[in-house]
Amino acid sequence: MSVIAAVLQQAAAGAEGMVSVRMYGGFPGPGPRVAIWIAAQVHLLFAAFVLGVPMFAVVAEAIGIFGKEEKYDKLAKEFTRLLLVSYSATAIWGAVLAFGLITLYPGVWNYLAEVFAPSMWAYVSLFFFESFTLYLYYYGWERWHDGRAKIVHWTLGILLNVFGTTVMFIANSWLTFMMSPPAEVTPDTSPGMVKFWSAFANATWMPINIHRVIANVVFGGAIVGAYAAYRFLTARTDEERAHYDWMGYVGNTIAIGALIVLPFAGYYLGREIYEFNQQMGITMMGGFMSWLWIIQAFLIGVLFLAGNYYLWVGMGRIPGAERFQSYTKYMLVILVIGVIVWATPHTMIANREELSAMGGAHHPFLGVLGVMSAKNTAVNIMILTTFLSFLLYRRANKRAVVSWARTGTMIQGAIFALAAVVVLFYGVYGYFVTAIVRIGFSVYQVLAVLFTIVAVTAIDIRMMKGAESYGTIKWGQMPPRSQYALFILAVTFTWLMGLMGFARSGIRQHWHIWEVMRDTSEYAATPPLGYAAQIISVCVLIFLTLVAFIFWVGGLAEKPILTHPRQDPLPPADPRLAPAPAGD
Amino acid sequence: MWQTNLKILLTVLGTLGLFTLVANSIPQIASEVPEELSFSGNVSPEQLAAAGEQLFNGAGSCAACHSLGTRAPSLLTDHAGEGTIGQRCGTRVSGEDCKAYLHQSLVEPTAYVVPGFDPMVFQARTFSAAQIWSLVAFLESQGGEVTVTGNDIGASADAAPAAGGVAMTAAPASQTMDPKQLLQDNLCLGCHVLDGAGPPLGPSFDGIGSQRTADQIRSGIVDPNATAPPGYEAVKGVMPTTFGQSLTAAQLEAVVSYLAARK
Repeated sequence: MSVIAAVLQQAAAGAEGMVSVRMYGGFPGPGPRVAIWIAAQVHLLFAAFVLGVPMFAVVAEAIGIFGKEEKYDKLAKEFTRLLLVSYSATAIWGAVLAFGLITLYPGVWNYLAEVFAPSMWAYVSLFFFESFTLYLYYYGWERWHDGRAKIVHWTLGILLNVFGTTVMFIANSWLTFMMSPPAEVTPDTSPGMVKFWSAFANATWMPINIHRVIANVVFGGAIVGAYAAYRFLTARTDEERAHYDWMGYVGNTIAIGALIVLPFAGYYLGREIYEFNQQMGITMMGGFMSWLWIIQAFLIGVLFLAGNYYLWVGMGRIPGAERFQSYTKYMLVILVIGVIVWATPHTMIANREELSAMGGAHHPFLGVLGVMSAKNTAVNIMILTTFLSFLLYRRANKRAVVSWARTGTMIQGAIFALAAVVVLFYGVYGYFVTAIVRIGFSVYQVLAVLFTIVAVTAIDIRMMKGAESYGTIKWGQMPPRSQYALFILAVTFTWLMGLMGFARSGIRQHWHIWEVMRDTSEYAATPPLGYAAQIISVCVLIFLTLVAFIFWVGGLAEKPILTHPRQDPLPPADPRLAPAPAGD
Repeated sequence: MWQTNLKILLTVLGTLGLFTLVANSIPQIASEVPEELSFSGNVSPEQLAAAGEQLFNGAGSCAACHSLGTRAPSLLTDHAGEGTIGQRCGTRVSGEDCKAYLHQSLVEPTAYVVPGFDPMVFQARTFSAAQIWSLVAFLESQGGEVTVTGNDIGASADAAPAAGGVAMTAAPASQTMDPKQLLQDNLCLGCHVLDGAGPPLGPSFDGIGSQRTADQIRSGIVDPNATAPPGYEAVKGVMPTTFGQSLTAAQLEAVVSYLAARK
């Protein structure tokens, strides 16, 4: 319909000397699609960072206030400083994206503007409030540091999150509308006739909202971890090194802890995509994008390995951890096997020649391992193993003194064993039932793992109350190689976001708005994964270069946190910022 | 310091390089745009089958399910000992020849669901008649004889215009008597404002009853090019002239009455 409108508008404008409307603009070099792709991806990466960091900044500040631990308040302030210097970059890339859309894709932009005009004004207004709340939150830190004023300051942090998250929800409605427009919207529907709320709260809006909120926390934690790693490696004093060692640990714990729950949000999103349109779902999981999930499995394998490696190396600075270090090699073997199984392909597009080369519809080996039964089992066992790593790390320098410590540990072990049995049982049983029954099994596997995380953590908190210490964690005494694991984590998380962004956007294929507005430009075809990977790498490189630069610039203007007059002694051994699955 | 920076840089570039390399080492599959097909009446079976094969393996995404035999019956290899699709299609439904069976299965996926499988999710409305028939030809060619001809395409195209295309004619007739629905179905709201919404390319429907009589409105619909309303001379000739044929008399009067009442 908008195509018709554009044609008619052009006709009318030509006759009356008015401004003509075109569908597409040109961009030198890589073309308009790549230009928009990069602008959108880099904007999203910055936005994810500035939305994720306030969430755990405000939690850290709360621990500082209610737990009366000043070091958490300082950590929260340092988080917010990173946020402040990234904020303008987010806005700049947002403007690049908006102007890019207006000039390169005016047809789509006009359509969306007509449908979503009210929300665009709300977006701008909330962005305004968000900005000034952030300035108040950061610059008011020292002035409102004590008493009731501190609570008001903390409330500002909460408000900052509310504004930021609402802004993201609004923008999410625009992009999810392009993926899953309401059923009543057809190519013949004038954008002016589209009902605002049904377009806004479309089928994939809430799943994307939830997925992005969690992913932002993961991403923010990873970038903070990389920042801390850099500061650790370039630290000039032991005190500074200890502080950034602790900060890196907190960043990694946040990232991996939130990552553990992210797949559940992913399942929800995937299910909603299937329910909205099965063809879209099949395109995503079994069509031309089927290999994308193999790459995703490889990346998540890297994340699990790097995250666990960091923890295992970190045990070297914890007195008492030597009790557990012999277990790490077994956990490594389990993780590696899990990655191999998860990254085994199964559904792939095969032509007749390939089918005959395989001797049938399935590869004789991949056919067994590359199915969801095996993959779900592998990923759940990997999550259990990673949780065990966190648990051992947490208990490394503690000795429980409660009378029921031995029983408690045995119960914890039994819960782990039971969860592993449940996961393996349904994994194997899945080979003997129909697909629809098999899909239901993944729920039991996930529930077993979630129950383990919650129950074991609850027992551990009770059991370790008043525990004896084998000694203080020697923050700062960490081999430099461990810090490179944090860089790998940050790069991998960033790349993974780019990959999943390609998946989300690419499943629309040659539609700007799925089955409503076709992409009629010369760039309508969705490129293969290799090409997409190159663009993603360019985006990640741009983002990381800019982040490094603005953190450096921010550091020039700021007094180092550690030289602040209210500076506390070195952070003690009890990092509390870990999200629920991993911490106390 | 510079050594540390260099190591960090190499770590970052190495990680990016590894991921890019891995992603370039797997099969490279793009999602092509379905090519708009245009065949003359004497198109050969080979041409049709070749176009269908391209669609099957490319933009149609058919191979994602139908080449494996797990999510959907394999069409390229034997299924249940009945042979390839070209061999078995003529025996699937009594009274339906291969061509009719395949065509019906594509345009109405729930018509013949193979036992043990879910209904196909192929959405025929996003493909043109030529594309659908070329798929039929390709499937027939898998062990059978291609019987699709240019006449099949022509007949389908006459019956229903290609989906998703831009047609400056009225949409197919509907049975509704709801004037607002008729305005919507006949794409009137693509150019005329109603309830304050829509592009103002033609005269607004809001308040039109106070500016024109029912007769003038009726004339404007059935013979829009006879006169151009003041201010709309530039778009004279743009409005389709087919509404007099595509709307029934009762539908036309419903629309006229509805518009005339909008004062």
